[in-house]
Amino acid sequence: MADEVRTAQPKEFYRKYLEQGVRPDNRELGEFRPTVLDIGSKNGSCISTAEGSALIRLGNTIVICGIKGELAEPKTETPTEGYLVPNVELSAVCSPQFRPGPPSEQAQVLSQFVANVLKNSQCVELEDLCIAPGKMVWVLYADLICLDYDGNVADACVLALTAALSNTSLPVVRVDEETGKTETDFKEEKKIQLTCTPISATSAIFEDNVLLVDPTRQEEELSTGLVTVVTDGKNICSLEKPGGSPLKDQQMRLCIERAFQRHTEACNLITQSQGSTLSTLTSPLVDR
Amino acid sequence: MEVMETSTNSPCLAALTCVLGDLSQADGSASFTHGNTSVLAATYGPCEVRMSKEILDQATVEVVCKPRVGLPNCADKYRERHIRDLFQATILVNLHPRSSVMIVLQERQDDGGLLATSINAACLALLDAGVSMKFLVAAVTALIDKDGNINLVPEEKPSDVEASASLTIVFNEKDLQVMGVTSSGKFSQEQYDRSVSLCRKATEHVFKFYRESMERKLSKSV
Amino acid sequence: MRDVPISNCEREFLLAIIAEKKRVDGRQPTDLRQVKIQFGSNFGSCEVSFGKTRVLATVSSEVAAPKQRRPNEGILFVNVELSPMGHPSFEQGRQTEESVELNRLMERCLKESRCVDLESLCIVVGEKVWTVRVDVTVVNQDGNMLDCASIAAIAALAHFKRPDVTVKGQEITIHTSDERDPIPLSIHHMPLCVTFAFFHQGKFLLIDPQEREERVTEGKMVIGMNKHREICMLQVTGQMLLHQDKVKQCTKMAFVKVVEMTELIQEALANDKTARSKGEKCGFAMSSEKEINTTVSPAKLVEDVSKTDLPMSSDSDSGSEQEMVEAGPQERPVGDSPKVVGKGVAIIGSAAVKKWEEEEERVKGDKKGKKKKEASVKEASVKGQQSRPQASAYF
Repeated sequence: MADEVRTAQPKEFYRKYLEQGVRPDNRELGEFRPTVLDIGSKNGSCISTAEGSALIRLGNTIVICGIKGELAEPKTETPTEGYLVPNVELSAVCSPQFRPGPPSEQAQVLSQFVANVLKNSQCVELEDLCIAPGKMVWVLYADLICLDYDGNVADACVLALTAALSNTSLPVVRVDEETGKTETDFKEEKKIQLTCTPISATSAIFEDNVLLVDPTRQEEELSTGLVTVVTDGKNICSLEKPGGSPLKDQQMRLCIERAFQRHTEACNLITQSQGSTLSTLTSPLVDR
Repeated sequence: MEVMETSTNSPCLAALTCVLGDLSQADGSASFTHGNTSVLAATYGPCEVRMSKEILDQATVEVVCKPRVGLPNCADKYRERHIRDLFQATILVNLHPRSSVMIVLQERQDDGGLLATSINAACLALLDAGVSMKFLVAAVTALIDKDGNINLVPEEKPSDVEASASLTIVFNEKDLQVMGVTSSGKFSQEQYDRSVSLCRKATEHVFKFYRESMERKLSKSV
Repeated sequence: MRDVPISNCEREFLLAIIAEKKRVDGRQPTDLRQVKIQFGSNFGSCEVSFGKTRVLATVSSEVAAPKQRRPNEGILFVNVELSPMGHPSFEQGRQTEESVELNRLMERCLKESRCVDLESLCIVVGEKVWTVRVDVTVVNQDGNMLDCASIAAIAALAHFKRPDVTVKGQEITIHTSDERDPIPLSIHHMPLCVTFAFFHQGKFLLIDPQEREERVTEGKMVIGMNKHREICMLQVTGQMLLHQDKVKQCTKMAFVKVVEMTELIQEALANDKTARSKGEKCGFAMSSEKEINTTVSPAKLVEDVSKTDLPMSSDSDSGSEQEMVEAGPQERPVGDSPKVVGKGVAIIGSAAVKKWEEEEERVKGDKKGKKKKEASVKEASVKGQQSRPQASAYF
């Protein structure tokens, strides 16, 4: 019976649940879906060929992130800065609403959002990616691919990216001053230092007055607006509310509150999953 | 102008200029300037909609943002999405099912606060076209500098002082509630609260300006 | 939106009055509409209007590698865009015959006439040169876009200034406008387009046709010319045959118009320069301020509320605060501690005990699960109010 109501009268279905302060999937309003983070055990990476990677599962939403490093020449204006290029792909696999081909508008918007988060939070110092000023820098391509789309891809992307970046190590590259030749030392790896860990929390506005954190796809479709808050634990790195229903100051405060709470939660998650890999990390060469 | 010079420390809303109904082809248009940032906005519709974008019970809002130079990039798409979501919630879309309201925004100059200027220009163009809306919206950009001082986008582009963060906040006219927010840089919750109250005060001037421009336009054409 | 074709009776009317040497807007056949040139406060942005037709041109520059065939020359790139703002039939991102023709004509007029000195744009031979990009956007189409666009493009090029560069061995420094004055482009001559529209087997012609007149025309001739009487481009389109005398007559007329417009551009450039040197305000805001239908609001001081009181008590909020549930405790509770399930895998959330595989089982046993969930609805809501007040913020 419940399924029929859910399909025919989704709004009413939700209203009945929300009156009781719970959601159909048994969550409270401010509760995230179970989050599974896999940063891999082999060489500390779940994609063995990547410099860093992470797979995240937020309820049914799955996003995988791979960090790939390449060498390039820096821009003339910023000779000591490397590049960090995020790209979000909403593949045709993740939902019937996406088709193969050039990136959809939503994918472009998400890529821009992730790029903004990286820029605002400055979690990776671009100067750390410099090898030889004006000559050679690292380009880090962060490819985020959504494998299953069940709402709130933005949060999943940010968490996957942060987890992958915090787990990325690059081989040491030396440039010979005289010959200009490069020498890559794969035995010696250096971890990327993150200055902070940006974590995002999205809430959907339902019927102008209820805030549902971590909305599923159906909740996103029913909602009259989304609010995304990204924090680094101390400050707000990004606050996005693209239109939708007006929000009272109190409600906005609640969203920020929830984002900070999520930050502690997610940081714990990242450290725990990293900690568990340490035992295998000690002998990476043997593994390979 | 004298006011500006005497109080450089207090927040000051830069001068606003607007020409309504400037373009002959569009159903509504406005060229809006805030300080030195200038945006040209035109609206078409409600008119026929492409089949793929049709919504059965409401009008589709389409937004096109044109950059000053080159082809539209991801940042323009992001701006488009923001403005579209905003006006989808502002225009009375249920009045015009299966039709399209198109908003085209052309950046003429960007000296800070481009998104806010675009939103205000779009709202004026919709007003000029007479598209029914639930309420008016206006956006103001606040800048937070390194010492935590909050200011509005200045008249002249500051060359040496760079803001550490900026917040663009959109309010509705009905009860001055927050309709939309976009940010860049890091800031604290307290700075956010202060920016909201400052921008809220500033948008009142913008709403007054909307009224003045409409009055002026109507007094000319009658 | 689809284009609405012109009605037969309007077509006949337009053709009839053209045969009487009259025009709908009261102009003489060889009159131009009012031409207006405005410059933006950035170098290289210019807006030109021919009556109601309006075109925006912006010039920008960046450093790039030169073409292999011409290693010592800079690159000039022209792009004309028919913005959906200009006419209901223009669509975003779609190439039409009209836009391709316009692009090509503008390229021929500006690039192939070699009006910009490209060699002066070279920085390091074979490695780095300036690429100058002219973006022309049609903002309102009311006929004769080409003439309007050609004026806008050349005026913007003449107005543009690129940053200064110094080359020291291998190193290249690009100076900001504060360090060194930017440098204008060197422009050899100003090629401008003049369009003639023909009617009644080439018997009658109109200069600067407006949109309605363009729709009933038989054919058009475009002459690109500079003030030294040099023709840079000539194109005849449409279904008509032209007598050679007609072409000669047109070039003579074109020359008069070109001289007129070149003077206008130079005057506008000079005005802009004096305004800048006096430190007066310039830009689009200033030029539109002079018009009648402009509303201006001077800079306004905004009462600095942030210093006096906290936003908690701001007016618009006070009413709504009553109906709100307390917004959660001040200290941030630490969330559930994550559980490590395998090497490198950790889970957080209420279902933390579940493994990946169990998720599938849950889907299978969904029907059973649903009943259980519904039963726990009440329990959860109670729990929500007691242990986690922040989660039950139901406004």
